[in-house]
Amino acid sequence: MYKKFENYLLGILNHPSKKRVVLLGTLIAFILAVGLIPTKIVLAKMLPGKNNDTYNIYIDLPNGSSIEQTRRVSECVVGILQHEHEALDTEVFLGAGSPLDFAGLIKGSNFKNAENVSEVVINLTKKHHREEPSYMMVQRLRPVVLKECGNIYPQTNIKFIEPPAGPPTMAAVVAEVYGSNAEGIRHLSNRIEGVFKKTEGLVDIDVMQDEIYDKFEVRVNTDKISKSALNVKQVNDILYLAFEGMGVAVKNSQNATDQIPIFLTLTPEGKKFDARTQSAIELKLSGLKLMNQMGMMVPITEVVDIVPVKSNPMIMSKDLHQMANVLAETDMVSQVYPLMDARNTIINTFGDEYEITKTGLFNLELSDKKTKQMYALKWDGEMKVTLDTFVDLGGAFIAALILIFLLMVVYYKSFILSGIVLLGSFLSIIGVIFGHWIMDMFTADTFFLTATSLIGFIALIGISSRNSLLLIDFTKSLMVDKGMHKKEAIAYATATRAKPIFLTAAAIILASTLLASDAVFGGLGVSLIFGTIAAVIASLIVVPVLLDNSELERHFNFHERKAVSIMEP
Amino acid sequence: MHIPHSYVPKDSAGKLAKGFLRNPLTPILGIFLLAIGYMALMLMPREENPQMVVSGSTVIIALPGATAAEVENVIVKPLERKLKEVKGIEHIYGMAMDNVAVLNAAFFIGEAKEDSNLKIYDKIMQNMSILPKGAMQPIIKPLDIDVDIPIVSVAFYSNNPDMDPTLLYDHVKEIQHHINGLPNVAVTDIKGAKKHQYNVLVDMNRLSGYNLSLGQIVQATQSLAYNVPEIKGKTKENEIVMIGVRNAIESIEDVGNIIVAQYGGSAIYLRDVATISAGSDIQNFKSALVSVKDETGKFSPLKDQITLTVSKLQGTNAVIIADAVKEELAKYKEQMKSEGISYVITRNDGERANEAVNELVFHLLLSIVIIAILLVFVLGWRESLIVTFTVPAILAITLFIAYLTGQTINRITLFAFLLSLGLLVDAAIIVIENIHRHLHAPSEHDRDFDELMVEATDEIGAPTNIATLAIILTMVPMAFVGQMMGQFMKPIPANVPVALVASLFVAYIFTPYLAVRLLKKPDHHGDKH
Repeated sequence: MYKKFENYLLGILNHPSKKRVVLLGTLIAFILAVGLIPTKIVLAKMLPGKNNDTYNIYIDLPNGSSIEQTRRVSECVVGILQHEHEALDTEVFLGAGSPLDFAGLIKGSNFKNAENVSEVVINLTKKHHREEPSYMMVQRLRPVVLKECGNIYPQTNIKFIEPPAGPPTMAAVVAEVYGSNAEGIRHLSNRIEGVFKKTEGLVDIDVMQDEIYDKFEVRVNTDKISKSALNVKQVNDILYLAFEGMGVAVKNSQNATDQIPIFLTLTPEGKKFDARTQSAIELKLSGLKLMNQMGMMVPITEVVDIVPVKSNPMIMSKDLHQMANVLAETDMVSQVYPLMDARNTIINTFGDEYEITKTGLFNLELSDKKTKQMYALKWDGEMKVTLDTFVDLGGAFIAALILIFLLMVVYYKSFILSGIVLLGSFLSIIGVIFGHWIMDMFTADTFFLTATSLIGFIALIGISSRNSLLLIDFTKSLMVDKGMHKKEAIAYATATRAKPIFLTAAAIILASTLLASDAVFGGLGVSLIFGTIAAVIASLIVVPVLLDNSELERHFNFHERKAVSIMEP
Repeated sequence: MHIPHSYVPKDSAGKLAKGFLRNPLTPILGIFLLAIGYMALMLMPREENPQMVVSGSTVIIALPGATAAEVENVIVKPLERKLKEVKGIEHIYGMAMDNVAVLNAAFFIGEAKEDSNLKIYDKIMQNMSILPKGAMQPIIKPLDIDVDIPIVSVAFYSNNPDMDPTLLYDHVKEIQHHINGLPNVAVTDIKGAKKHQYNVLVDMNRLSGYNLSLGQIVQATQSLAYNVPEIKGKTKENEIVMIGVRNAIESIEDVGNIIVAQYGGSAIYLRDVATISAGSDIQNFKSALVSVKDETGKFSPLKDQITLTVSKLQGTNAVIIADAVKEELAKYKEQMKSEGISYVITRNDGERANEAVNELVFHLLLSIVIIAILLVFVLGWRESLIVTFTVPAILAITLFIAYLTGQTINRITLFAFLLSLGLLVDAAIIVIENIHRHLHAPSEHDRDFDELMVEATDEIGAPTNIATLAIILTMVPMAFVGQMMGQFMKPIPANVPVALVASLFVAYIFTPYLAVRLLKKPDHHGDKH
């Protein structure tokens, strides 16, 4: 069998036309593979979804909503989850975050402390006994939950948060809107939110800014207050005491686990306003009386005015610049492509109000046509992490190439031979890309080109350079020690070395099959399997052709002694 | 038997093979390697995800009565500028709200936690003078990824809807203390707690009926609820006399009996104007609910619950701690059941980590078996046996070194092993294949067996060394990948090179050693190669 291969190889080496066919074919495959990257046939993503036994649902009602309203929405969500057969238990944390997890750490779950937020945790059966992966379940439930529970109160935001496969990020897509004018930022971020909502593939869209709601302000009339011999502190204290309540004293107890506060406030019925209007508030407050220094009772409404106002939204800044975030998650697709779509929509449609210039790789700079104020749109979140990671891994890849090249130069003391080794190993990219394409066709959901695929590719350079190395080394010893002809030595060495090359390749492929089934490391497995196949073909056919084309005699410092047939080694 | 070796090895591969080929210590070394590897596998802490060094601090400063814009100008902006002076901070986030400022400093991934926390604390304390008048003492909360993220959470709930929620809290609080006492448990926390409180709910109508103000009630309550330490006096003979002042308020009745005002000689008691009850903290809007599937597969309606969370110290074994917590809980199970309290474990990262690790260890073994079977067909079962032995030896060395360098066993470490598995059998395969080839070569039939082994090993030594070095070199730049992803993937560049170096040594030492004892020269003048 090896004999046959040897003769076949010799056949190729002896015909320049066949050699050209091999090289041309390789070049075409290479161009095709690299050409696949920018198209959407093979999709890139940092890390794919992972099948989890649990996930969270974050519920955000508009600011100013009460805990009872939040509870109603949460109960609605739990009601839907309870119909799931694979659910084991579900917890609701009202007004606070659930016990912190990896994702919550970055998403600020531990700082939640308001009546308008809640988190739902759902635990599922073990993933081995469950047919539906958690990400599919989330995709299926999301529209149902949004339809049933998202519209009970307007502006309710319900987000599905799955434990990330790798490092957590704020969200899949984060648009940071920078500017110096709060109003302008709000307007621009709301427009971007609108774009996101229309972009296919983006879900759970949320603008990270407080909604502005109506509230009332108690303004103390300084004139009247001094005439009635009262002070502002009394007014503040009494209002707080009446409606919020205060621990006025504590009792130490031997039986209870903590000190027992004595908490004073009005009865719940006494606290309730008839309506959210100025007159209702005035009516209620008139019942509250203050005692002045002379011991006279003064109704609180005598010394204050009640004015309806708007709430002050939170002011956010990042690295000293005022900004707002627009967040979106992706619905089982890579964040890269919806982001590009959204960006294109922004560029195409925002021209009515803004002058748009592109900065950096994907960022935009918008200047208001009327006010000439400048705004910046920067992408953060998983997109930035992905870019950084791919750039870093790309750098690692180039560094690996250079290191291997230098190693080869040191070993062979020849640039050409080192170049051949490097070129041979670089060809494994053909296998990596086509492998992902093939896997994508055979799996139900999208099979992404991920960061782990890149890691696999980097490891492949080492593996395939080893194949070429063993080949060149054996050819050299055949030529130098046994004095074979170049073509015959190459063919004989390749045929002899084919067995260990096949064996080690088979070992890698077999060891990687189990990797390929994993969600996160599937990319690594597929890279290794298909990359190794490509590497074997490259080192058994392409590298010999390249070797034959180079002046091996010179690189080996070898002077042909005598012709020996390969038949008698 | 001992014919002097005529072949002089040129490469370290041959030298190693020669040195260990007839050495009685070689099998002992092999057993020792396997033993330390097994020890490391058992001792190393198990986690689901690798440890990451994420540092950051949150500074919260309250300025009562200020609007968001004021807070932005007087606290957030000046402090942001000050934090900018700290080296190592990647991003500063500022949030200005009505009454309160929140600043968040996120350090570059990999910055040492303790140093970073100290830097922020130091910077804020140095600049206390720039805080505006009326600002409260800053609260500085460092982020601690190990301590902040619980590994176990348990939801306790009562089956009796009428049960006093504070009673449940008392029970959980007691269990919390016991669990906190378990080894390596860092923080235990309670969510959804309803604490004891005496509630005085004043009726506004009755208040105005008696013509009283809320302020009077506060004063009256405070005047009686005053605790003092014991008084120490002395007699003429210098003996100490202790006088304890009994608290005026001992029970809920005492609160009701507080006299808030006098009207023409008749006293108005607090109970006359307010509903007084010993209950829970009604002002706390936070609560936790749970719904559990019962035996029939139906979900119970949402019930009030209290969640107890347990986190572990850095670098400790999540599996052991989670099991200890479970055991401790089981001790109280019966007692709680009699009082109508049930619990459900809602998070168990220890179990999750153990499952992930065991699954991957199984995959690892399966891969070894598959490769062994492949080799049986191509090289023969003796050769296959030799290669298969080298794999546990290499993994043992790698595990032990990982243990020494303070790593944990997690998903990524095991993926690094799976990745290296395909690479680390190579050295052994190449050696055994070359031995095989030499053995079956007709020209070498009359040569000494030992010499043949050494030569076969030595021959491929140089290219194998260089090739392995090449693979190691590809892994090295990966160690410099930054950000979270770099941290996350760190076990790969940390372990694969170690495994590869180990694979060389094992291949050069053990493959010829085993080959000499297991393989036989073919009797026939073989013509297959």
